[in-house]
Amino acid sequence: MMMRFLALLLLVTPANAAQPADIAVALTDDLVEIDTGFSGAELTLFGAVTGVDDPQGKVDIISVVRGPETDFNIRRIVKHNLIWTPGAPHTVKGAPGLYLTNATRPINDIAPLPDQAAHGLGLDALPIRAGGREHGATDESESRLFAEAFLTEVEFKGLYRDLVGGVSFKKGALFSINIDLPATTPVGAYEVAVYLYRDGVLLGADSAKILVNKVGAERRIYDLAQKRPILYGLLCVALSLFAGWLAAMAFRK
Amino acid sequence: MQIYLPIAEIPVNPLAVMFMGGAVGFLSGMFGVGGGFLMTPLLIFYGVPPAVAVGTEASQIVASSVSGVLAHLKRKTVDFMMGGFLVLGGGFGAVIGIMIFRYFRAAGQIETFISVTYVIFLGVIGALMLTESLRALLRSPDAPRKRRKRRSAGWMAAMPFAMRFRRSQLYISPIPPIILGFLVGVLAAIMGVGGGFIMVPAMLYILNMPTNVVIGTSLFQVIFVTAIATVLHAAANQTVDIVLAMLLVAGGVVGAQLGARAGRRLKGEQLRALLALIVLGVCGKLLFDLTTPPVSPFIVETAS
Repeated sequence: MMMRFLALLLLVTPANAAQPADIAVALTDDLVEIDTGFSGAELTLFGAVTGVDDPQGKVDIISVVRGPETDFNIRRIVKHNLIWTPGAPHTVKGAPGLYLTNATRPINDIAPLPDQAAHGLGLDALPIRAGGREHGATDESESRLFAEAFLTEVEFKGLYRDLVGGVSFKKGALFSINIDLPATTPVGAYEVAVYLYRDGVLLGADSAKILVNKVGAERRIYDLAQKRPILYGLLCVALSLFAGWLAAMAFRK
Repeated sequence: MQIYLPIAEIPVNPLAVMFMGGAVGFLSGMFGVGGGFLMTPLLIFYGVPPAVAVGTEASQIVASSVSGVLAHLKRKTVDFMMGGFLVLGGGFGAVIGIMIFRYFRAAGQIETFISVTYVIFLGVIGALMLTESLRALLRSPDAPRKRRKRRSAGWMAAMPFAMRFRRSQLYISPIPPIILGFLVGVLAAIMGVGGGFIMVPAMLYILNMPTNVVIGTSLFQVIFVTAIATVLHAAANQTVDIVLAMLLVAGGVVGAQLGARAGRRLKGEQLRALLALIVLGVCGKLLFDLTTPPVSPFIVETAS
C-alpha cells in the first residue's frame, strides 16, 4: 500500500507533460472490517493524473465502486383479497452488491454512450435484467418494469448511487475521491475503477481492490451460526439459561 | 451508538433495543405473562427481519422463563410428570412448526404468514380477555363470585394409558396433555412465543389442573419447548441472533422486576383489561400494515 503511494508521488514529476496522459489511484484502506460497532465506512481514493499540465478543469474523472456480484430477488407487493403480500420473485442475476459512482460532471457529459455501456459507467449503463422464475420466459415490458423498480429500490436503500462533483483536485495533478460505504455494505471483494476522460475520449484507467470482511466477535458469531448451526443453537440456549439464572440471582431478596 | 447485529445483519441502537426489552419485560412482570407475543411484533416493527425476530425471541423466552421456574421449583408447584408429557408433545410440535416455517420461508411468504398468524391469535385472545375482564369490572363488587369446581374429566380418564398425576391430583390419560403440548409447540416455533397464553387456560379449563401448579408447570414446559425451538431455528434457518437476544434479556429482567412491583398496585381485572387493550393495539397495527397499500410496491432481497 505504502509503495503504491510513493509510486503515485513519483509519477507527478515536473516534466509531466511530455508523457501520454494517464491516471493512477490508490486507496487509504484496502480492507474494511465489519465489527460490532460498524455503521458504515469512509474511504479515500487518492489518485494522480499524469501527462496533463494542471489537469483541473481540463480532464474528467469517473470512479466506479463495485461490490461483489449478487443475485437479487425483486417482488411486487400485490393485493390478495384483503392482504398485501409479495408476489412471485423476479431474479436479477449477477448484479453488483454495491454500486457507487462519482464523477467531475454528469457521466452523460463525459463519456459517449458506447463507452458507458462497455465499462458499466453509471446506473443507466448497468446491464440489469429481471428474469421471471418460470423458465425465464417473461414478456419484455414486464422484465423492464422490474429492472427499473430494482434500481429504484437499491438506490433508495443506499446500495446504488451516482454522485457528481465528489472529485476534489489537490495541488497540481493529485486528486481525491471520498467513498462512503453504507452500514448495509455487503461482505466480499470490491473493485474500484477510475477512468480519465478528455473531450469524450478515454485517456486512461486504473483500478484498486477493497475487501469487506466481518471480523472479531461479529465474525466468530456469524461463522459459528453458519458452519456449526446446531452447536450455535445449543450455545444460545446455554447462554440464555445462564442469563436467566444470573437475573434470578441478582434480584433475589 | 450503534451495534451491528451479526445474524440480523442490521445496525441497531442497543439502548433502544434494551428499552424495548425493558418495556415488554415490565408488561410481562406486571401481568405475569411471557411477553413473546408482544416482543416479536415489536422487533418486526423496529425493522428486524421477521424470521430473525421469531428465532431470537425463542431464545429470549428461555432466559426470561428461568427465574420464574426457579421460584416455582422451590415452592414445589411444578408437576413434572404432566410437564414431561407436555414437553414430549411440544418437541414434536416444534419440529412440525419449524417445517411449516421453512415451507413459508422458501415460498417467500414468511413475513405475511407470521403477521396473519399474529393477527388471528392476538385478535381472538385480546377480544376474549377484554370481554371477560370488562364483565368482571362491571359486576357489582359484593356479588358472590362463582367458585371454579374441579370435575374429574371422565372422558380423559377413559382414554388409554390413564395414570395418576399426583401434584395435579388427576387421573387421566397422557394423550390430552401430549396433544395440547403438540399444538402449543407448533405455535411456539411459528410465532416465537412461549405459548403460556394458550397453555394456561387450556390447563385450567380442559385438563382441569389445580390453579397452584398451572403456572409453574406451564413455565417448565415453555423452557424446554422454546429451547428446542431455538436449536431448531438455529439449525434449520440460521435465524437466532444471540447478540439481539442478550440485549433484550438485559432490558427484560430489569423491566420484569419493576413491572411485578407495579402490578401489585392494580386489581386483576384491571390488569387483564389493560393487557387486552395492548394486545388488541398490536393486533390492530399488524392488521393495518397488512391491509394498507405499501409505500413502495416492490421489495428487493438478496436471493439465498
